[in-house]
Amino acid sequence: MTSVLDQNFGSESEDENFNPAPADDSENEAPDGSDAEVNVKQGARQRRASSLGSNDSAESPAHNPDRRKKNGIVSNGAGLGEDEEDDGDANGSVRDEDEEDEDDDDDDDDEDAVTGRPRKRLRRDPRNQYLDVEAEVDEDEDEDNDEDEEGQEPFIADIHPDDVDELPAGAEKDDRRHRELDRQRDQALQMDAEKQAEILKEKYGRSTRPGVSSVEITPRRYMLPSVSDPSIWAVKCKPGKERELIFAITKRREERAFTRNPIPIICAFERAAMPGYVYLEALKQADVFAALIDVSNIYPRSKTLLVPIKERPDLLRVIKSKPLEVGGYVRIKRGLYAGDLAQIEDTEVNGHEVSLKIVPRLSYGLEEDSKAPMVAGSINAADRKRKAGPNKLATRPPQRLFSENEAKKKHSKNLNMASSTSDRKQWTYQNKTYVNGFLIDDFKIQNLLTENVNPKLEEVTMFTEGGADGAENLDLAALAASLKNSTSNESYLPGDIVEVYDGEQQGVYGKAVAVTGDIVTLSVIKGALEGQKIEVPIKALRKRFKEGDHVKIIGGSRYRDEVGMVVRIKNDNVTILSDLSMQEITVFSKDLREASDSGGAGGLGQYAIHDLVQLDPATVACVTKVDRESLRVVDQNGSVRSVMPSQISNRLERRRHAVATDRNGSEIRNDDTVREIGGEGKQGVIIHIYRSFLFIYNREQADNSGTSVLRATNVTTVAAKGGRVAQASNGPDLTKMNPALQKNGMNGANGANGMPPPKSFGRDRALGQTVTIRKGAYKGLLGIVKDTTDSEARVELHTKSKTVTVPKDVLSFKDPITGQAMDYSRFSGFRGRGGGRAGFASAGSSSRIPDGGRTPMGVTQGGRTPAWEMAAGGRTPAYGGSSARTPAWQQSGMAGGRTPAYGGGGGATVNPYEGSRTAYGGLGGRTPAWDPSSRTTYGGSTNDPFSSSRTPAYEPSARTPAYGSTSTYNNDSYSAFPQSSSNSGPNDARSSRAAYDAPTPAAAPTPSASNGAAYSVSTPAAAAATPYGGEVETPYSGQPETPGWGAGEDVPRYEEGTPSP
Amino acid sequence: MFFLQELERVISLHPSFFGPRVKEYLTTKLFDDVEGTCTGQYYIVCVVDAFDISEGRVVPGSGLAEYTIRYRAVVWKPFKGEILDALVTSVNRQGFFADVGPLPVFVSNHLVPSDVKWDPSATPPQYTNNSDQVIEKGTHLRLKLMGTRSDVGSMFAIGSIKEDYLGSLT
Repeated sequence: MTSVLDQNFGSESEDENFNPAPADDSENEAPDGSDAEVNVKQGARQRRASSLGSNDSAESPAHNPDRRKKNGIVSNGAGLGEDEEDDGDANGSVRDEDEEDEDDDDDDDDEDAVTGRPRKRLRRDPRNQYLDVEAEVDEDEDEDNDEDEEGQEPFIADIHPDDVDELPAGAEKDDRRHRELDRQRDQALQMDAEKQAEILKEKYGRSTRPGVSSVEITPRRYMLPSVSDPSIWAVKCKPGKERELIFAITKRREERAFTRNPIPIICAFERAAMPGYVYLEALKQADVFAALIDVSNIYPRSKTLLVPIKERPDLLRVIKSKPLEVGGYVRIKRGLYAGDLAQIEDTEVNGHEVSLKIVPRLSYGLEEDSKAPMVAGSINAADRKRKAGPNKLATRPPQRLFSENEAKKKHSKNLNMASSTSDRKQWTYQNKTYVNGFLIDDFKIQNLLTENVNPKLEEVTMFTEGGADGAENLDLAALAASLKNSTSNESYLPGDIVEVYDGEQQGVYGKAVAVTGDIVTLSVIKGALEGQKIEVPIKALRKRFKEGDHVKIIGGSRYRDEVGMVVRIKNDNVTILSDLSMQEITVFSKDLREASDSGGAGGLGQYAIHDLVQLDPATVACVTKVDRESLRVVDQNGSVRSVMPSQISNRLERRRHAVATDRNGSEIRNDDTVREIGGEGKQGVIIHIYRSFLFIYNREQADNSGTSVLRATNVTTVAAKGGRVAQASNGPDLTKMNPALQKNGMNGANGANGMPPPKSFGRDRALGQTVTIRKGAYKGLLGIVKDTTDSEARVELHTKSKTVTVPKDVLSFKDPITGQAMDYSRFSGFRGRGGGRAGFASAGSSSRIPDGGRTPMGVTQGGRTPAWEMAAGGRTPAYGGSSARTPAWQQSGMAGGRTPAYGGGGGATVNPYEGSRTAYGGLGGRTPAWDPSSRTTYGGSTNDPFSSSRTPAYEPSARTPAYGSTSTYNNDSYSAFPQSSSNSGPNDARSSRAAYDAPTPAAAPTPSASNGAAYSVSTPAAAAATPYGGEVETPYSGQPETPGWGAGEDVPRYEEGTPSP
Repeated sequence: MFFLQELERVISLHPSFFGPRVKEYLTTKLFDDVEGTCTGQYYIVCVVDAFDISEGRVVPGSGLAEYTIRYRAVVWKPFKGEILDALVTSVNRQGFFADVGPLPVFVSNHLVPSDVKWDPSATPPQYTNNSDQVIEKGTHLRLKLMGTRSDVGSMFAIGSIKEDYLGSLT
């Protein structure tokens, strides 16, 4: 009793919430829910009702009607609060309760009269729908019942009035209990409410907590098997028969259960995860053997393993297998459709079979032409199986939707229209059902691949029935779900930016740091977790991209390796704009990876888009699309075809300088923009010119990646690339010969004024020489030149006494000094040194002229000219008198100004050079006077074309020693000279060397030859020349000597002059 | 965005050009070579000056001389997220192309406000919301670059007008 009362006051809050029952209202007129006393009273009078007042204790339905009644009211009251009283429009059941309560209260004493409660029972149900009475069974209830005397006895209200009479004799029918109730109530009244509450609390606390805990927590380790438990043996069996065996064993055990020899095993089971084994739990291994005697397909004797205790929990761990869902995708493991994707159409209840929707592979009997006519589908199937044998897969027909027309052709008798409505056409063909073109067939789950199906988008699109508008109603969500299940970890790599889209950390994104199995460790980039590393299963991840990202498709799609920019992101689906084709492609974000911002070459292998390829000798084509296996090309005739790389004979390099003419005769080249005249009026940039065909590209054209073919005669130029005309005026190509100079040089060489190539005069040096024949029939033979013409030589061979005529060019001469072999031109030049050098000089002059080395060149040539002349014996006129010729050289050398001055013997002092010359020439008259004479003497004394030819270039420095008549010097320096210069193209080194060599010995003779002043002046001149030694100016280094001979102040003038031209 | 950038370029010069006008040749050549080009990262709009022309260095074996020229140039580099004015060059179902100066920009129809619809029946075909926004060839519009791509010697970008204050300029 007390406990019941106490429950009322279990907590203060309940007191506040406690809304007195309307029943009490009617009685007490002043309902005050929070008034403890009233409650106590009520509690005393209707203890069960009050016990229900506490929300904590749920009630069992089997209780006193009062109590149940109160229960309903109280819970209403508690829930609705004060509304309860004026809740006129509360639903009927509430009102019922109210009425009932009134009845109840009115008939409070009716309870004494056990009879007369016909309604109660009927009303229980409507009331119950508002009650939580059946939700929990409180243990307190039992206690209550235990404490209540009445608890164990059937409640009066539960008994139909008609039944009352049938109550057992001991059953109470009087009002004893009511009286007792009143007594208890009075007793309770005497107790202080708070005290009661305390008591209640104490009891309540004591009673509930241990009860709850004792049930809930059973440490798991106590449930684990121990050695004392029966053992589990794994017995090998025939794979696939496990379940069958279990049934067999179960049956056997039941059969023998109450016989003389029961099977002593405790249980038997199989695990789908462990094919080829069944597990038997028994106390002894012998029991296992005994149980399995004469059971087929199981091999206890061959392999029976005791499962270690530790592994037993693992063995029984339930791996929740994913239920196959209709609309999901699976892959077929074997048979004709091995590897094909299938969609689940329906699942069987037994969980063993599913009905699949497959894109059929049908040949419609085409391969059976030569064979016996097929009788029935099944036979045919068997037939095919037998005949086609192992290569059935190799020759299996392609996946195509079922076509009744095809089927009618040969197999019309096997074809039945099962049903047809506007949106569903069902056929039966060869005992298989085809709905809307798809094969619907049942498969065993074990023949299906349900994990890691990884459907590809293009496979899936086969299952989508295109709508009338051509739009595909692809269930991307289902596909995404299938894919998500099969997400393979290779799609995530460290460095990917991934986003968590599921679970607690939803919305967090970061950079993947490591991928371990199905777990990706990511370093969070943003948010509260920034910088932290969290581990997330792949299932909850997706890659994160932003619009505008440059991405590459990495797999799972036929668009693989395409590169493009993200234009739209919607959940998992990312739309990208392909760089190559400018098409939009929608793929899953897991198939994308960030690419660098620089565009790819656009090729997937050997061939790139817009390459020109040769298909056959007569056909070329331009690549418009590159797939993994094939290329789309548009050939020169404009036809588009798909070719294999093997069909391409080669790739044609783009000819940069290809030129064609348009219909107006204008030149068109690659990269020009042209427009078609007539036709479609296409416009584009020329990417290839092949004969008269132009392959043009237009970005705005959608088909063929913007490529099309035009004939050159049908187009007109719109714009030449970069304005070709303007480009021409931009100036010369600085990496080529300066055209202006080149022109002059050419004129000089070829023009009327040009000096004819030097000729040799007199006796041919080759005569009498021992030569080797380098080419021809006599190659390698030694001989002596007996006679020569301009181009040929008659050579008397050493080997046999025969004289042959061979071109001079093929003769090889020996250098008398070095023994080096040389050809005729070299030889003759070598012999006539001046000529040889002239050869160099002139060779150099054509290229040298422009670059400021021109003046020295002039000098060289000036020097050479007389050399030749001197060789001809007319040296002096050549110098002085043959001014007509010399200027010609000089002009050709662009040193027009100087030579006349020189040639004129200082007559023209036109420019600084001439100034120096002039100074030279005009220096007191002595030098000129001396100069010619010295030269003449010098040249004459040696009478050697070489030294005389040398003189002009060498002159200033050479002169001094010459003056000093040190002919030895000349010999020395020159003997050394040809060797050093024989291979050097430019004269610089040679000249500079000469310049060096010469003045140095000159230093000694000079003072003796001239006065000290001249010497002292000349020395700086030489020094001044030295820096130029390595430069092109060097040949001119002779000139500074001139100031040396003349006046010191000329030196700076020369220095100034050098840069100025 | 425009920048004044210091850049460097190596120019080879044939020996026939050696002479007093070398600088002239070099600067002319520089202007011809770089003005109006695209490096793949930015466009060189104009060369302001060539402030440092190195000494020529003769390349062994060829006789050409190499000059390293440092110059200042105004360059234009488009950035992701940059708002730019563009001129529509072509319109199709997938979107439209617009030119921002030398830079071609593609605006996908996903990046066009949803109320601006593709209207193929109009002449010329256009995107329009049947009120103020009409995007056809020749329209001036303001767009935002979503991404850029650089190839060798050229650039490409995709843009968006799916934001406030973007779209045709009327």
